[in-house]
Amino acid sequence: MGLEQFKNRNVGTQNYKMLDLGETPTSGMDKFKQVVQRTFKVELFIGLWVTLREMINALLRGQMHTVKYPFEKLPISPRYRAIHDMLRLLESGHYRCIGCGLCEKICISNCITMNTRYDENQRKEVSEYTINFGRCIFCGYCAEVCPELAIVHGPRYETASEQRASFSLFEDMLTPIDQLNLQKEYDGFGAVTPNADDNIKQTPLAY
Amino acid sequence: MSIHNSINKGKAITVTIDGKKCKSTFGKTILEIARENDIYVPTMCYLTKVQPIGSCRMCVVEVEGVEGMILSCQEKATDGAVINTNNDMIQQERQNIMKLYNVNHPLECGVCDKSGECDLQNKTMEFGLEEQAFTARDQYRPVENWGHVSYDPALCIMCEKCVRVSTEITGDEALKVKFGGYGSTIINTKQEKNYASLGEAAAVCPVGALVNTDFKYTSNAWELSKIPSACPHCGGGCQMTYEVKNNRIYRVTNAFEFSSLCGAGRYGFDYANENVSKDEKAFNEAVAAFKNAQSIIFSSQISNEEALILQKIKEQTGAKLVSYEARAYQKFMEAYSTITGKSLYGGTLKALSESKAVIMMGTRINDDSPIVKYHINMASKWHRARVAYMHPLEDNEIQNIVTQFIKYEAGSEEGAAALLAEALLKEAELPKSIRAFLDDLDIGNLSAESNIGEEELETLRRSLIKKTGFSLVVGSDLYAHPRAVQIAKLLALLEQYAGFNVICVPPAGNAMGISLICDLDDEAEGKTVGYNAPADFTLSALGDGDLDMPAMNQQEGTLTTIDKRVVPMNVALPYGGYILNDIANALGLNAKYTIDYTKALPQGKGFQAVEFDSLPDYFDSVGNEYRGYLLKNVKVSVKRAFDDIAEIEGFDGAVIYNCNPTEQFSAFTAKSKLLEEEAVLLGSQQFATATKLQDGENITYVLDGVKFNRVFKIDTSMKGTIALNPTFDMGLSGALLSSYRLSRLDFERAGK
Ligand code: SF4
Ligand code: SF4
Ligand code: SF4
Ligand code: SF4
Ligand code: FES
Repeated sequence: MGLEQFKNRNVGTQNYKMLDLGETPTSGMDKFKQVVQRTFKVELFIGLWVTLREMINALLRGQMHTVKYPFEKLPISPRYRAIHDMLRLLESGHYRCIGCGLCEKICISNCITMNTRYDENQRKEVSEYTINFGRCIFCGYCAEVCPELAIVHGPRYETASEQRASFSLFEDMLTPIDQLNLQKEYDGFGAVTPNADDNIKQTPLAY
Repeated sequence: MSIHNSINKGKAITVTIDGKKCKSTFGKTILEIARENDIYVPTMCYLTKVQPIGSCRMCVVEVEGVEGMILSCQEKATDGAVINTNNDMIQQERQNIMKLYNVNHPLECGVCDKSGECDLQNKTMEFGLEEQAFTARDQYRPVENWGHVSYDPALCIMCEKCVRVSTEITGDEALKVKFGGYGSTIINTKQEKNYASLGEAAAVCPVGALVNTDFKYTSNAWELSKIPSACPHCGGGCQMTYEVKNNRIYRVTNAFEFSSLCGAGRYGFDYANENVSKDEKAFNEAVAAFKNAQSIIFSSQISNEEALILQKIKEQTGAKLVSYEARAYQKFMEAYSTITGKSLYGGTLKALSESKAVIMMGTRINDDSPIVKYHINMASKWHRARVAYMHPLEDNEIQNIVTQFIKYEAGSEEGAAALLAEALLKEAELPKSIRAFLDDLDIGNLSAESNIGEEELETLRRSLIKKTGFSLVVGSDLYAHPRAVQIAKLLALLEQYAGFNVICVPPAGNAMGISLICDLDDEAEGKTVGYNAPADFTLSALGDGDLDMPAMNQQEGTLTTIDKRVVPMNVALPYGGYILNDIANALGLNAKYTIDYTKALPQGKGFQAVEFDSLPDYFDSVGNEYRGYLLKNVKVSVKRAFDDIAEIEGFDGAVIYNCNPTEQFSAFTAKSKLLEEEAVLLGSQQFATATKLQDGENITYVLDGVKFNRVFKIDTSMKGTIALNPTFDMGLSGALLSSYRLSRLDFERAGK
């Protein structure tokens, strides 16, 4: 449709189709008849059946929809931007961050602070790394710019704490070395939720 | 030819570059003219302060009517030339050059110190290199640590800038190219200590191949705030920039395209007086001490403004102002002026670097003022200048540029100066009285006493015939000499009547500024207050006095440099305590900031009434210096009166010479951790024999009331019976050393 057509608001001259919606009852008798008809149609029982079916599924078949948070958590989308994770190299266990400082530079709320030094193995070592979560706006730029996929947004959305400093140090964000085997690769910003397949449903056009 | 040589103003020419008509003078290269006119020509190996290197070919341009491509950095422009700096072929050529540079260049910008200010990185982006068509077998090239800097051959693009500054600027020739085709590298041939070349080379290196070891991997360039300043250590006042983050100086950089820094300037930056808070009690005591003081003693580590404050305090309280080195310099320059009729010496560093002959006298220049040595070296390298070194002690470090060493006896400087003046003024037109004075000199006797052979000066004289552009560098041995006045006058004759470009190297810090601003007295008396000098009440920027003061990198103010320039210094690090201005205000002066005094510096002495904040501080694109302002040379009355030459009082036996190692100047450089240098009395085997001292022996001796406790070490490269006595480690007491730099050694043994 061209813009011209779109801008034309003259309804009468366009290709509109009028729907046949029947008559709207006007007299008292007609209205009463409509109510009775709708009340005693089986459609009412369809709704009741749905409720009953879900109840049976939940109670007898173990298909309860209520999530028993905090004992139970839903998988969160990889696109979700929560407290950062610092990942390790799977081969050596060494942290991935090379100390390039790009995350520090790109951070728009200036909340990343880092220090580096020349270490004994002639490598650049990250001697200090903190994120001030009082300022972080979880924009994700740091994760996006990181050339090493070292800093990523983790799934940890529960960020209530007595102090913000609780999870702002490098060590707090770094994958614990004994849980290296559990470290999840970050799928990237465009990635879908892990249970996306299960969530696929027919688009309800049938109505 | 680089800018240094374009002074010989050629005839005016006009060239057209990219359609723009550019007026210039003959003798300049196409690149220079382009830069003067803000036309961009990419370069990789060009470094303004040295001769064109010509190793990169990035600067190619097309000259209409000339076959092939022209290297604009080397080719002089001819009148009427029509030049295009870019076309498809040139662009492709440049792209290919960049591809070659990138062959096997490690992809490590992420950790490289140079990232963000790297020429290779910038130009790779600029020429849009997205892929690499060339490759070569990789080689194992480990990183080398050379002390102040480390060298990563894998990153080196062999532009040779480092080698050129090592040869043409600092002159110690430590760095060399080791040729080997694709395997070529840079080698450091003098690894035994930190030579000045290292810092200079790291500054000019366009990539991350040469970086400061201390700075390495500590911060990205873009995280550092740049604070322009001037180096306060010697009287050079070289341009420098402190690079600061989180109240810490990470490194010192400079406008390396046009100017240089010595090791002390580049690595001696961590001397701040930190963690100081306002101590009101000490402050009140200080004010009281100033009120009662009969003398104020101070060192040369002081800005012009502070010197003026002290002068104003003197005018108010009537206290004597004592600063030994500056006082000696002041008297020397006063005497000097009576011959030249001008308040300042006439020489400049630029003219020095363009000299065809240089004479040095009374200074161990490589240690006293490295930047002067660099300029002598430039003259030697670019103009094959004859360099005569007159001193009691030979200096191995400048052997490669000195063409004639003229040794005189310690203490015989007056005779040496007279002989020099007599020899070099033979053909000059002189006022009768001076001619008569020179004719009356007993040359034979002087020559015998000073031990300078007549034929030596004759050789020197003859070598100068048919040359123009002479320089004389005068150093601080002469200022505190008992016959300083006479020596000053004798040497001033060379400026006045033989056209010498004379530089009287300021003895320390801001001695020149002090000598112009303060009415100094000779000796202290009564109750004393010291500013960076020990006294009854001591203000110290080292943090060891009765009241703390800010160090030079913690205050703003101006310095007077060897080039007779008044240059600004800015605050690099915070300071929480009281400053001299607070004391001055408590004593009745009235200025909100120390820099309020900048515009009040004495105009009668050549200063200008300029606000601190309007002092410029930059070099333009072709290297013209706009830092602060130049002092005006003020007229003074001429008095051509000479004394008779005094009987020369030679020293017999062992003599020591107060002289600091190259990277050390004062208690402040001594505080810098990167400039570690042992303070030992260093003498030759001959000295050891004469004094019966053994290597490693501990001795004590007293100079000007300052007690030295030193280990004696034998340096086999030295000759003669003069030993080097460093003073930089003496703390504030260093400011008390007031006599002639050479003295007889009377020592006591303190055991091994
Ligand atoms: S998410 Fe954004 S605001 Fe937070 S640290 Fe990263 S870049 Fe900074
Ligand atoms: S961007 Fe990545 S590699 Fe670079 S410093 Fe940040 S976390 Fe480390
Ligand atoms: S020298 Fe330059 S291009 Fe090479 S790694 Fe360092 S920053 Fe990158
Ligand atoms: S070390 Fe640096 S300055 Fe020296 S040749 Fe290599 S790239 Fe050039
Ligand atoms: S700049 Fe001319 S060859 Fe390198």
